[in-house]
Amino acid sequence: MKKEEIFKNLFDAVVEINVQKGKDAATQLIKENYNPLEGIENGLSKGMKAIGEKFNKLEIYLPELMMAAKVFNSAMTILKPHISSDSKSTKKGTVVIGTVKGDIHQIGKDLVAMLLETGGFEVHNIGEDVSTSTFIEEAGRVDADIIALSSLLTTTMASQKDLIDILKEIGQREKYLVMIGGAPTSQKWADQIGADIYGKNAERAVSLALEFMSKKQKS
Amino acid sequence: MVNLIEIIDRSLEGPFTSENDFGLNIFVPKLREVIKKYEIKFDPENPLSCDDDLADRVFQAGIELFADVGIYCVDTERIIKFTEEEILESLAEAPSCPVFGEGSDAKALVARKPESDIAPWCFIGAGGAAVSNETLFESILEAYALFLPLADSITTPTIKHIEGRLVRTKSPLEIIACMRSSTLAREALRKGGRAGLPIMNSIASAGSDTAKIAGSQFGLRPSDGWLIGTMAEMKINFERLNEIAYVRNLGGHIVAESAPILGGYCGGPEGTAVANVAYHINSILLMKGSCQLTFPIHINHGCTSSSDVLWASSTSAQAISRNSHFPFFILNYVAAGPMTEMCLYEIAASVINAVVSGASIEFGGVTKAVEVDHFTPMEPRWASEIAHGVIGMTRSQGNEIVKKLLTKYEDNIPNAPKGKTYEQCWDMKTKQPIPEYKQLYQKIKTELAELGVRFKF
Repeated sequence: MKKEEIFKNLFDAVVEINVQKGKDAATQLIKENYNPLEGIENGLSKGMKAIGEKFNKLEIYLPELMMAAKVFNSAMTILKPHISSDSKSTKKGTVVIGTVKGDIHQIGKDLVAMLLETGGFEVHNIGEDVSTSTFIEEAGRVDADIIALSSLLTTTMASQKDLIDILKEIGQREKYLVMIGGAPTSQKWADQIGADIYGKNAERAVSLALEFMSKKQKS
Repeated sequence: MVNLIEIIDRSLEGPFTSENDFGLNIFVPKLREVIKKYEIKFDPENPLSCDDDLADRVFQAGIELFADVGIYCVDTERIIKFTEEEILESLAEAPSCPVFGEGSDAKALVARKPESDIAPWCFIGAGGAAVSNETLFESILEAYALFLPLADSITTPTIKHIEGRLVRTKSPLEIIACMRSSTLAREALRKGGRAGLPIMNSIASAGSDTAKIAGSQFGLRPSDGWLIGTMAEMKINFERLNEIAYVRNLGGHIVAESAPILGGYCGGPEGTAVANVAYHINSILLMKGSCQLTFPIHINHGCTSSSDVLWASSTSAQAISRNSHFPFFILNYVAAGPMTEMCLYEIAASVINAVVSGASIEFGGVTKAVEVDHFTPMEPRWASEIAHGVIGMTRSQGNEIVKKLLTKYEDNIPNAPKGKTYEQCWDMKTKQPIPEYKQLYQKIKTELAELGVRFKF
């Protein structure tokens, strides 16, 4: 089978939300000795981009987006062991993401986590009502590039500032990019507290994360 | 009706499942099944539905969904389930005309029907949006009392800073903000001449159960509305159950809040409408409410004024009002800000949609209730004037007006203008809107009158 055909199958599997088709195409790609990185880039990632666009227009809804991510991850499980260590890594960076202390909102944060993951990031979603120290400990443990903090309440936004202040106090501010988001937050708030990235919505959060990581890697 | 202790037992002993499984493998498949079974189909051409049979099918689908799925308790990871018999019993025994407020401001909240001649209850004010400090909080509350003659109850803002300090949830600052919120709101309403007016969103500054209960000691009354929310979709936690336990033992009125998300687990407008009915039953049975407050909201836009959300709201409002005597409100969030034409158009469309469909209104969230100080007494006043101007209007006439209004703003929702702040729109000395806003208001009022809204004054 031509590699373009397999890429198309990977793309279709994500768009059609077909786990088995994704697994079959990934297996076929390995069997034919094609480069798994190309399959990810030209098949799976493109499929997730298409799904993301459909979601933005509400042609599909959150459950479909979550299931498409499952197709992506199932195929990735097959492809990952075959990515040679000397080839250029597909990983765009590592993100620790959670909803701040006192806030139990989940959906928006999970949406960003999912799109970051399918956008090539290694994502550690540490849940809701997460303390500042847990964010920092987890970021240190996984050697994160980005700490992403979600807040849906005006009364929990201060925890985003706390994290940045504490990173400064312990001399680790330069170690991480800090991304913030959530309904009451804004670019103005991000500037005020010294956050690096303000994700107005999930799509913007991912594109800015990619942009900042690219700058970081060049510098 | 199933009592609260029994509900707590079920939260401790009900079927165990993960939160993810509850959402994706229990709620979503059943919702899709009932949408198909009851042949519920979104009509993009008619945002304000005129179909009685559809409304009744949505109601049946909502009952079946609630009976099958139940409510998930995130603290115990168990599902609180109810039988269909318990659901039907709760609908029969639900309150139908709770009385809110004190003295001359006391009034019964009466359930309405589509195209009803009964005036909708106007629960108006800030919709929980954030105000930057205590001084502005007090000023705007007094302005509500003075400037909103059609207000039946008030919705207060969230105080963002106390003595210059950002309020943080679950901290002493939150407790202090909630105490001051109660004290200042009561005093401001008294100064404005409406001392008995009920506050129906309890304390907007309260994120935690502790802060809500502590703050309430400083001025909330059992005759106010104690707003208690659920989590999207069909979930509750112990903090909210704690609040229910407290208010039930106080003899207060619970305003049971829900916000089904269009585009989220509910899927499209059809699922959002069905979920809204399920939340209605939950408001009676689990939340022990005196009324339901609901706001179906758009996942990407964060407002309630887009045509798909309007359809979900109108269809579920008709489903509920035709089949239940338990009163309910639809809360409206608009994308645009104060002193913009778009804001007034969005409010008009949302309010007409709700009132003609049989709901009462809460208004509301201006600039989606996310911009600090971006709300004034003009927007709730506008909402109440529109609400009273469409009493008895037919759904087909309402639909035609809503369609015309949508052409004026819907494409601009993603980039809606933020408008001005309270201090920019309001003359603090005369306690009146600035002339520019008055002129804009009058211009749009004339337009709406030409479209068929019968303003009282």
